[in-house]
Amino acid sequence: MKNIIIGQYIPGKGLFYRLDPRTKIVSVLFIMIAVFLLQTIEQLLIALGVAIIMLLIGRISIIKVLKGLKPILVLLIFTFIFQIMLNREGVMIVNQEMQLTIFTALFLLLALIIWRILSRYIRYRFLLFLAFVASIFLILVYVDFGYPLVNSFSFKIYEQGLRMSAFVVVRLLIIITLSTVLTLTTKPTDLTQGLEKLMHPLKKIGFDSESFALIISISLRYIPTIFDEANKIMLAQASRGADFSEGKLKDKLKQVISLLVPMFIIAFMRSEELANAMESRNFVPGEKRTRIYELVFSYRDVLATTISVLILAGAIVLKVI
Amino acid sequence: MSYIEVKELSYSYNNKTNVLEDISINIEKGEWIAILGHNGSGKSTLAKALVGLLEPATGEIFIDGTLLNEDSAFEVRKKIGIVFQNPDNQFVGVTVRDDIAFGMENLCVPREEMLEKIKFFAKKVNMLDSLDKEPANLSGGQKQRVAIAGILAMQSDIIIFDEATSMLDPFSREELVKYIKTLHKDGLTIIMITHEINEALLADRILVMNKGKVYAFEETEVIMKKKEVFTDNHLELPVALDLANSLEENESHKEIRDKLWEYALIK
Ligand SMILES: Nc1ncnc2c1ncn2[C@@H]1O[C@H](COP(=O)(O)OP(=O)(O)OP(=O)(O)O)[C@@H](O)[C@H]1O
Ligand SMILES: [Mg+2]
Repeated sequence: MKNIIIGQYIPGKGLFYRLDPRTKIVSVLFIMIAVFLLQTIEQLLIALGVAIIMLLIGRISIIKVLKGLKPILVLLIFTFIFQIMLNREGVMIVNQEMQLTIFTALFLLLALIIWRILSRYIRYRFLLFLAFVASIFLILVYVDFGYPLVNSFSFKIYEQGLRMSAFVVVRLLIIITLSTVLTLTTKPTDLTQGLEKLMHPLKKIGFDSESFALIISISLRYIPTIFDEANKIMLAQASRGADFSEGKLKDKLKQVISLLVPMFIIAFMRSEELANAMESRNFVPGEKRTRIYELVFSYRDVLATTISVLILAGAIVLKVI
Repeated sequence: MSYIEVKELSYSYNNKTNVLEDISINIEKGEWIAILGHNGSGKSTLAKALVGLLEPATGEIFIDGTLLNEDSAFEVRKKIGIVFQNPDNQFVGVTVRDDIAFGMENLCVPREEMLEKIKFFAKKVNMLDSLDKEPANLSGGQKQRVAIAGILAMQSDIIIFDEATSMLDPFSREELVKYIKTLHKDGLTIIMITHEINEALLADRILVMNKGKVYAFEETEVIMKKKEVFTDNHLELPVALDLANSLEENESHKEIRDKLWEYALIK
């Protein structure tokens, strides 16, 4: 959890590291909008190809980007499956009979039990999960002996469904890749400062972007500390007999509350002390301050911004045609 | 006029009971003062008043001749910094560099100058190699040293330590005290609130607080001879000094006394 403070940032040297954070934020935003404007899977696949070429040019390891996808992998797969199952337009491509018999039901039960046991000890849990889903599918298709529990049913895939699900998934893929590139190559401090500068014009409507950025960077700074603290409290409570892993929902709720209450109290005291520390070092909210980090806008930034504007323009043209 | 002058200062958090009552003290430039007193005797409150975090109910505080009030607080805080007890609750920056810079950023120090000073003062507290480290990867003692560097970088020459060593392990504690000694040598004025008699012994003078009042404020050697100051305030005298004090005052004991004092001070 200690790493959360740097987020996904990995120090490196490629092209994207040298861009100004403002450029990166704006460009990613433009390209994201462009991606949302694309309408066919073919266009999206081209966009995905462009994104991958960009990764290669920026010398960003594709594996690291894939790792960034991990948290939303489940979401991606569910979207894919739901789209395939629910969308019944166009030509039918697959029509597969399946049956649920006593045997298959037993197999499923067995698979579930094995999954529950194995998944605790396995590193690539997700691959295992996929293997299980695939084997369940195969069992449903090919095991047809035994007493049938329900009428046989069929699994159908329609062309439009496949297209739509691929469309949604590829779009999500591109967008996640874009934001991963941003967070992979930009320090959170630079990111907040970029945001601060970009939102500076909002001062006219009363939005204080500097305080906003300071709040973000202090939050970033305190996330690991707070996790440490939660850990300590949990240990303290576990040593007095609390069990955070087992129990009914009601018990779990109680445990969460017993964790949250001390954490709130500590956070409250902390904020008072932090405010004192900041004030004693002459921090005055809303006053002008100099900054140790300086953002420099170079020819690379001009180039990158131009390219992203062109991409956005291209997408708009495609949409209008 | 003394460098720090507190005149008849009183303060109350709730307007009923006074947490500080009629405090008058003078501290000279370059002095090392230790503040002792049991829990709740008002030590931290006094420290906060000195850096202008609290507004006195009555009385005045002068720092280097400037009356501390709402208008002058910004100027006064350039001279006086405070290191608090919990290293985690005063580390504002995302990295060591950011944190040392924080005070200077508030003072609008130009960027180039900041970068130079950060290097200079990080070196002074032996944190030059850790400028890019995040607080989560620092020990408590290192965080306290970063806090010191941040104060030094603001060109302050008075530093208050409010139990700054109390959350550290014995080794880091000793190390921090070592740094405080060098600061004192460099001519800084040190005010050190502590529960550790051994740390207090390093000071030129000791201020003992009791229920918001000044119980005693005298030279360290003098106060260590007054047994009643310690018993009245539930403070424990180091064994060596206890022994020294119990020896009858005559020529033949002088050498032993001196040795015991020496021992206590080195400890
Ligand atoms: N923010 C506050 N609001 C109300 N009362 C407070 C506050 N801070 C301190 N007090 C009270 O003021 C009195 C003096 O507190 P102070 O923190 O100055 O004592 P201290 O000598 O620093 O004690 P310790 O050795 O525990 O740090 C205590 O009775 C305390 O309960
Ligand atoms: Mg205190």
